[in-house]
Amino acid sequence: MTDTSTIGQGVTLTATGQQGAFGGELLTVNFGPHHPSTHGVLRLIVDLDGEQVRRLTPVIGYLHTGIEKQAEALRWQQAVVVTDRHDYLSPPFNNLSYALAVEKLLGVEVPPRAQALRVIMCELTRISSHLVWLGTSGIELGASTMLMYCFRERDTILNMNEEISGFRMHTSYIRPGGVMADATPRFLEMLDTFIRRMPGYVDEYEALLTMNPIFRSRTIGIGRLSAENAKVLGATGPMLRGSGVPWDLRKSMPYSGYENYDFQVATSDMCDCYGRYLVRIKEMRESVKILRQALDRLPDGPVNIDDRKVLPPPREELETSMEAVIHHFKLFTEGYSVPAGDAYAAVESGRGENGTYVVSDGTHKPRRVKFRSASFVNLQPLERLAMNHYVADLVAIIGSADTVLGDVDR
Amino acid sequence: MGVEALAESLGQNVLTTTLGKLIGWGRGNSVWPLQFGLACCAIEMIHTATAGVDIARFGSEAMRASPRQADMMIVSGRVSQKMAPILRTIYDQMPEPKWVISMGACASTGGIFNNYALLQGVDKVVPVDVYIPGCPPRPEDLLNALMILQERIKAQGITPRQ
Amino acid sequence: MIADNLITDRGVTAGDDWITVDATGVRAALGGLRDQGYRLLVFLTCVDHLNDLSRPQWPGRYELVYQLRNMETREQLRVRVFPDGDPPRVESVHDLFGPANWDERETYDMFGVVFEGHPDLTRILMPDDWVGHPLRRDYPVGGEPVEFSEEHEMWLTPPPTA
Repeated sequence: MTDTSTIGQGVTLTATGQQGAFGGELLTVNFGPHHPSTHGVLRLIVDLDGEQVRRLTPVIGYLHTGIEKQAEALRWQQAVVVTDRHDYLSPPFNNLSYALAVEKLLGVEVPPRAQALRVIMCELTRISSHLVWLGTSGIELGASTMLMYCFRERDTILNMNEEISGFRMHTSYIRPGGVMADATPRFLEMLDTFIRRMPGYVDEYEALLTMNPIFRSRTIGIGRLSAENAKVLGATGPMLRGSGVPWDLRKSMPYSGYENYDFQVATSDMCDCYGRYLVRIKEMRESVKILRQALDRLPDGPVNIDDRKVLPPPREELETSMEAVIHHFKLFTEGYSVPAGDAYAAVESGRGENGTYVVSDGTHKPRRVKFRSASFVNLQPLERLAMNHYVADLVAIIGSADTVLGDVDR
Repeated sequence: MGVEALAESLGQNVLTTTLGKLIGWGRGNSVWPLQFGLACCAIEMIHTATAGVDIARFGSEAMRASPRQADMMIVSGRVSQKMAPILRTIYDQMPEPKWVISMGACASTGGIFNNYALLQGVDKVVPVDVYIPGCPPRPEDLLNALMILQERIKAQGITPRQ
Repeated sequence: MIADNLITDRGVTAGDDWITVDATGVRAALGGLRDQGYRLLVFLTCVDHLNDLSRPQWPGRYELVYQLRNMETREQLRVRVFPDGDPPRVESVHDLFGPANWDERETYDMFGVVFEGHPDLTRILMPDDWVGHPLRRDYPVGGEPVEFSEEHEMWLTPPPTA
């Protein structure tokens, strides 16, 4: 009774009915796309031998939003808002990689204060992104309290986002040529309080999970990925560092002034889900350190480049200068054009290397915007990770990969 | 025991109402949402369920993963052309009476993504009771939508939909 | 570097090094580069140069872009390929680089570039029965027309009957 019919995505059902190792038959099970533990709308087709996974095929595309096509239809400064929404847990990283790529083509460099503010927003977002991962992974592995703890701190970060940019999640704060607005004194005050409190909160998370026997038995030795395999499969971020490879774009190929900060690259030699957990916890602590340094050494000065062709003039100039009005009008009716060429800029987001490849044909709209998303690449080793594990461990493995389906499907 | 004595012993402990109001009251205060997270709005939906905003105050903290145990579907995020048939399948599996909240600009109208890949409004495949604007809406917006829906459920009585 | 007869052009754009490789020598060139240490394929994508007036000297409508990285020396190299034909055809490199498997499927889905030798060249993001390749420049953005207030009259007026 071998079924060889094809169901979507070229997946061939051949396994059901075949003999498994335990004397029973292999069973093909559909998992998702609406499933509470797939972190979104991931669909997996799993061949089970008893309870063990023998084959696994991810099916993606259920959140395909056409973001790249949409960016081609928008002007250069408008496309910032769509970059926010592909990896919706880390908008400033996506903004930053887009802004860096466009700035590369324009040949401009932003002032030091803008760079520091960019670093602050990115590190805050790294913490909030890891908090979502920790909370949801915790709830999947039976630690429901984690969600309440993590989202308490995430709410603080979202309130800070709202203070500095007016929006809780999709801040669009980082733009080509600088940032949206200068930090308010209240934001800096909130940031200072947050930095002082956060290490204690991370201690709380660790007290709940790090030595928790249930959590340890469900993650140690589960989803092993050797350093060599991680490199071959192109994994980045905690997936790679959890396998003991100290590759972090902030250190390896610094951008936005990261070379001026003193921090360590978190790695773990455990190569399993627990190792990735340790890496992310350590990264939260390191992010707090970077935030402290950035806040203490926040330079004075402008937060935008002084180029009226790229960024609108300040509000008060519009009342006195005719030229400013013309620039303002041109910018918001036609936009600016970017010299022809292509550029790639990558940043280290909470999930790995998030990059943007932009191609300009010299007009005021991009010819091509390609998002290199970490989740898309990090999802590919899933079959290798889950092989011969129990189907219950599959949940821990999907959780530890920390993919955002908006980022996978774009 | 005479009627007077009975009335006296029960005192203030009896309310009289119609069956419709009673059922509407019961349904309205225990709306179980389907945990249907799609995109960005799903994160704000989780925020609504956590301690800061606490949807449990309105009797809706029991987020169900199975459509067969849910009364209300919160479509939280953008619905792609590929997802639309699955959304309808899940909606069809929910028992009557059922309600739908379309959370966020993308679910309501397609939002900023007016393109080939997205369904331009989830009301093309399922009937929607409450729309929430915002990209994504704040958790308070979702609570407000829930309260609006509760008022409607209470007013609908025994037969929510003809 | 790899054999010079494979490289047809080289240069630097916005600080990034790039080379152009003949479409028939993709596997040889990328395999050679991989053996020299460029082991990470950062991304693979396609650019559609339909009616692109900025690059008259470049051949072909479709440009495939392979971004490679040497993780030891931290050098990056972009390899450009201009495949011929419609649909354009090029050799697959899925066995040389791990991430290329899904990247090639995505490029096929979005641009219709056929990667010869790929084990499972099917649509990955769009539904299986989708017609067309959305990221080609002659594919419309799609979506629905937006009703603006100044066009309100036009939208409310019924179309003239034939």
